[in-house]
Amino acid sequence: MNVFSDIEIDALTEVFNVGAGRAALTLSEIIGEEVMLSVPSLKVLNSAEISPSVLTWKDGKFATVSQVFSGPFTAEAVLLFTENYALEIVRDMMGSQMSIDDLAEFEQEAMSELGNIILNASLSAMADMLDISLNSSLPIYSISSPQDIADRFVDCGREDNYILVLHIDLVLEKHHTEGHLIFLLSSTSLSKLITHVQQYLSNIL
Amino acid sequence: MSSNVPLGFSTDQVINGVNLGLIVVGENLEILLWNDWMSRHSGLTHEQALQQNIVALFGGQLTPGFLRGLNNVINYGSPSLLSSALHRSPLPLYAQQEVSQTPVRMHQSIIMTPMQSVEGGPRTCLIQISDSSNSVRREKMLISHSDALKREAITDGLTGIYNRRFFDESYILAVRHSKRHRSNLSLFMIDIDYFKPYNDHYGHLQGDKTLKLVANTLFAQMRRPSDICARYGGEEFIMLVAEFTEEQAVRFAERLCASIADLAIAHPTSPVADHLTVSVGVQTWAPDQIRENLPLLKGADEALYRAKSQGRNQVVVKN
Repeated sequence: MNVFSDIEIDALTEVFNVGAGRAALTLSEIIGEEVMLSVPSLKVLNSAEISPSVLTWKDGKFATVSQVFSGPFTAEAVLLFTENYALEIVRDMMGSQMSIDDLAEFEQEAMSELGNIILNASLSAMADMLDISLNSSLPIYSISSPQDIADRFVDCGREDNYILVLHIDLVLEKHHTEGHLIFLLSSTSLSKLITHVQQYLSNIL
Repeated sequence: MSSNVPLGFSTDQVINGVNLGLIVVGENLEILLWNDWMSRHSGLTHEQALQQNIVALFGGQLTPGFLRGLNNVINYGSPSLLSSALHRSPLPLYAQQEVSQTPVRMHQSIIMTPMQSVEGGPRTCLIQISDSSNSVRREKMLISHSDALKREAITDGLTGIYNRRFFDESYILAVRHSKRHRSNLSLFMIDIDYFKPYNDHYGHLQGDKTLKLVANTLFAQMRRPSDICARYGGEEFIMLVAEFTEEQAVRFAERLCASIADLAIAHPTSPVADHLTVSVGVQTWAPDQIRENLPLLKGADEALYRAKSQGRNQVVVKN
């Protein structure tokens, strides 16, 4: 699906990398050690095509944090981390000795904050660089299987819905973890996003 | 909410009645709302707080996390969370206490949300602060209880050394560790000779005391924190030691026997000595012989069986 041109994909990837940089700074400040966060790739899929295999997700559980935002376009942003890795990060952040299983139940608030930091950083980078204004909802935390998540996207998908899938690399001193940042948006919202990306490109080129 | 509707209470009463700190901050960070809860816990009255810049009011005591959250709400319309797990106490708020006591800083959870003005004016930020001191206290208590339970679950109630359950868990880890680090692993099974006659002669109370003494004497022979010594059954003990050659393992087993004999515990009904003795079965595995599914236990157990059938009070090596 080539709804974006290559250069537009590059521009969006850059926007999200700026967001990732901001999130990394905030996380470093909380943990007190260097955090590196980057978005090496981005792809656009039609929501009807979604399945765990398309997204190359392995089995296991994901910790998800989602926020709905609105502005020139409306989208649901969902951040996914493999549960165990995400929890290890939270455990490092807290300096906690608790077992990973206990932590999943115990630290929903901290997990939500981790997601909130990354999502807010991405949204603020988007707002600044694309020169738009966005409003968003409070983060919602849940633990889901890859199938649950795929089903959810297909469900809210009328056929003209798209998802933007960003691969996220998060490196802490002790851990390296990967996650996905997913934006679910309608074709109308997607074309508005494209318009803003084109404007951004025409300003810088 | 319209104040024209005769609800029997005012919005102000609700704002000041909730057990929650409420602040509204305008786009220039000026305080537009400050409820009674905030006055009680910050020591700053409405008059002192209203229209003040929130950063100036707290005199540089605001944490970077709090300021970032505020910035996200005011400038980007993104709500922000500050969890008590990651921030503990972002605002200088204190638990209410007797005047004489030193003030205790309150653990907080904070939610900041944007409010878009109805007339399309600038955004304001609603800050909700809840006191999480109780959950933090409960969390600490639960963790310390769970630590105590974990300790109990792996300790032998009578002797105070590790129990079989702990041994079984550590055994698997030790096997993996030895394979990975290419080091030998030695297993010792130790059985007190003629313990039933001893118990019959002296009674169970004395028997228990002796078990404790033997357990602690064996335990004291360990040299490294990675060594494991556990009570395996009634009068049977088990030890796991890494990095011994076969000869070192045999010498160690002989030392175990000697350490118990040196206690010189009288055992008049023992056919092999006038004092309490032990039999030891030992097996040492080279790293390439170690298989997780082919446990050392069996070899050491066979060696112990032979030590017993050959007259007890001795070390037998399985090879």
